[in-house]
Amino acid sequence: MNILVCVKQVPDTTEIKIDPVKNTLIRDGVPSILNPFDGYALEAAARIKDEDPSTRIIVLTMGPPQAEKVLRECLSIAADAAYLVSGRTFGGSDTLATSYILYNAIKKVEEREGPFDAIFCGKQAIDGDTAQVGPEIAEHLGYPQVTYALEAFRKDNMLEVHRETDEGVQIVGVKTPCVMTFTKPAWEPRYPTISRKRAAHRAEIPVLGDDAFPDIDTAMIGLKGSPTRVKKTFVPQRKKDGLMLRGESGEAAARKLCALLRDAGVI
Amino acid sequence: METKSRDLWVYIEVQEDGSPKNVGIELLNPGRRMADKQGGALTAVIIGCGVDKAVREASRHGADRIIVAESDDFKEYNTDAYAYALTSLVEKYGPESMLIGATGNGRDLAPRVSCRLKTGLTADCTALDIDEETGNVAWTRPAFGGNLMATILCPERRPQIGTVRPGVFKKPTPAEGAAEIIREDVRLPAGCIRTQVLGFLRDVSAGKVDLENAEIIVSGGRGVGGPAGFAPVRELAEALGGEVGASRAAVDSGWISHAHQVGQTGKTVGPKLYFACGISGAIQHLAGMTGSDVVVAVNKDPSAPIFGVADYGVVGDLFEVLPVLTEEIRKIRG
Amino acid sequence: MKDHIREKRYHIEIIPPKHNTDDIEADLELFREKYLRVIESGYCVCLTDNAMGRMAFQGHETIAELGLPVPPEQVMIHLNTFHSKKHLDEVLDSLRDMGVKYLLVVSGDGGPRMMRLEPKDIGAEGAATVTSVELLRYIRDKYPAFVTGVAFNPYEPADFEFKKLERKIAAGASFIVTQPLLGKNETVDELLRRYPDIPVIVEGWMTKKAWLLSDVVGYEIPTDADYDPIATLRELVRLYPNCGFYLSLLGFKTQYGLIGDIWS
Repeated sequence: MNILVCVKQVPDTTEIKIDPVKNTLIRDGVPSILNPFDGYALEAAARIKDEDPSTRIIVLTMGPPQAEKVLRECLSIAADAAYLVSGRTFGGSDTLATSYILYNAIKKVEEREGPFDAIFCGKQAIDGDTAQVGPEIAEHLGYPQVTYALEAFRKDNMLEVHRETDEGVQIVGVKTPCVMTFTKPAWEPRYPTISRKRAAHRAEIPVLGDDAFPDIDTAMIGLKGSPTRVKKTFVPQRKKDGLMLRGESGEAAARKLCALLRDAGVI
Repeated sequence: METKSRDLWVYIEVQEDGSPKNVGIELLNPGRRMADKQGGALTAVIIGCGVDKAVREASRHGADRIIVAESDDFKEYNTDAYAYALTSLVEKYGPESMLIGATGNGRDLAPRVSCRLKTGLTADCTALDIDEETGNVAWTRPAFGGNLMATILCPERRPQIGTVRPGVFKKPTPAEGAAEIIREDVRLPAGCIRTQVLGFLRDVSAGKVDLENAEIIVSGGRGVGGPAGFAPVRELAEALGGEVGASRAAVDSGWISHAHQVGQTGKTVGPKLYFACGISGAIQHLAGMTGSDVVVAVNKDPSAPIFGVADYGVVGDLFEVLPVLTEEIRKIRG
Repeated sequence: MKDHIREKRYHIEIIPPKHNTDDIEADLELFREKYLRVIESGYCVCLTDNAMGRMAFQGHETIAELGLPVPPEQVMIHLNTFHSKKHLDEVLDSLRDMGVKYLLVVSGDGGPRMMRLEPKDIGAEGAATVTSVELLRYIRDKYPAFVTGVAFNPYEPADFEFKKLERKIAAGASFIVTQPLLGKNETVDELLRRYPDIPVIVEGWMTKKAWLLSDVVGYEIPTDADYDPIATLRELVRLYPNCGFYLSLLGFKTQYGLIGDIWS
């Protein structure tokens, strides 16, 4: 079985701070990481490979040259090969344009690696938070999709997927080839091993650049190919002028608070 | 797609029992305002099987028209059938814009449909407006884990589509008047549906934590000091009939399981009442709970950022404050 | 462990390469050099377990990859509770098979993407979460050949810390390593009075950046504080003649050559 895992390098949004003076995000010094949801997608692929070692896992990312780092990270964890899509003409793409470029990249990689039985993605990237690219890739490819997947099992030419819903875990059967987006399962993804890390350090990662897709429709990529555009961004104001109780004993404060909440009809 | 009308569509997701999911009805609220500004009809679109309740609710809450696609094929949500149906309806009627509730199914459906229509989609919007200059919808949504808000436009492609989170808008007040109901016969092509629901694992984990639907949450953070420190937090939650939440610091230290985590890498919550106990108020935690109606903060440190978002703040030791508060609440509740 | 103190055998911290290192080969080479130097000096290598919540390769994995020797009296492995059950058993099996004798068992510094032991994983269903106590019991029951030690934090409320220590000793711990001391510490003095027969190893903070300890010691150490690690170590050796010494963040280029004379 051939699985392609689409990944993204993102800033660690849990480390982002706000500049109190300029009211903007401080992005300098924020470490770049593998999007955690893509890590779950890779883990899901690795579990299929645990059952069937002949499975091949290829990782793909679109980004600037430094995005190569997350590809090497994936190689050190479970991937067998990696490809980087990077070119100036791809910049400024919204989710529709991005998914179109990735679709072209997947087709290109298939020329070398053979057809993929499944495309795994994280459900969303923690910077964009849209959860759109996965289903859009599925649409371009014309494949069925399963979202909010936790784990997938191979059953003949189908995948049996456990997916998260409000009511509990739903079991869905889907024919391959298909696209699946993953959310956080009950377990943590596996760690890299030293030997894989050393091999990943030496690995060659082909770059698919501006010239890699001669048949691509340039009207559908970059800013030109993006139906949505950002009009403005701003840091949300969260300030409230709350009622403060201080200088009291804990007991006195608790009783006052209870009375306040009661009077306000909150409790 | 060429527009054929100035209508604003609201996709109303239907539950198993035929009633509408709340978010669909909620969206008729901004939908009304937007339809009026656009100069078109507020149109609800309902896909399912046995949807009379949903149709009635949509009519009661202000829809001018309701387009219904009903058949056995739509008994249960699945991407292929619903994407086919919604896309064909949109192509037939050519609305100006469409709102879809950002439920699990909504987030599954919307990008499939927007991509098929080659148009723009803006997800998880928390505010909607019509841009004065151009008449385009201005979609405002959070990014970077809620650290940044972005206002997005889809100036050329149509329809303009956005998904909106449940609870962002309140349901409109019910009104007189009945909607025009249009029944569409959508036939799925052979082999359209490519996924199959095989079964369900009803929640296996003991004591499922449901933070997202909780009305009251009492959360503990670094200030509780250890697993035992969650006892007063739990007791207050119990006395209030609420759920226990936690900050990332408490979860990372292993004091409580991840299922209780509120924040950017945990759950996003919007309860009526949120207690933050021994929580400093790191941005990524705030991103998860500022949707709360009333926030009460208890912290020893008067300069803790959490006080900046609290309606009521107590500077004190949670181990002193919480037990007494719990006792007082128990007295009130009898 | 008593022999270590009698023979004045330093315990020296070496941190294994981090998961996200940009140059694994350079890190491995540096590790090898440090490791062999400590062994050759007759000291004891102490390998940390995701110290400060930074994901790193495991000590045993690094030893195995580099084919390094494991003299049982010269290697100590730190082990914390942030592992899955599967991973924990793999680690313990490997350590046992390579002949490691000493384990320092701690609750550990967690992090957002770390695995974690659940009480039911190690037969501790009664506990709310897994701490070093539950892990110690598990190791004593399943891997009795290991000699386990525990951490002691003299900066926490003493009552609290002594109670925890009792539980740790009841769970099988037979030696103690303290948090970094910057000088005489009354709680450690009390510890030595209460437990005269248990080997105690005092941690020395060997980097000039004393302010990094502000969180540990519970008060703000200014960044321009004039901290002399070597002078402090000398003082600690003088103050605690019956203790061993664990050196963290030791400068192998500038400081290693000086420590031999301080404790001899």
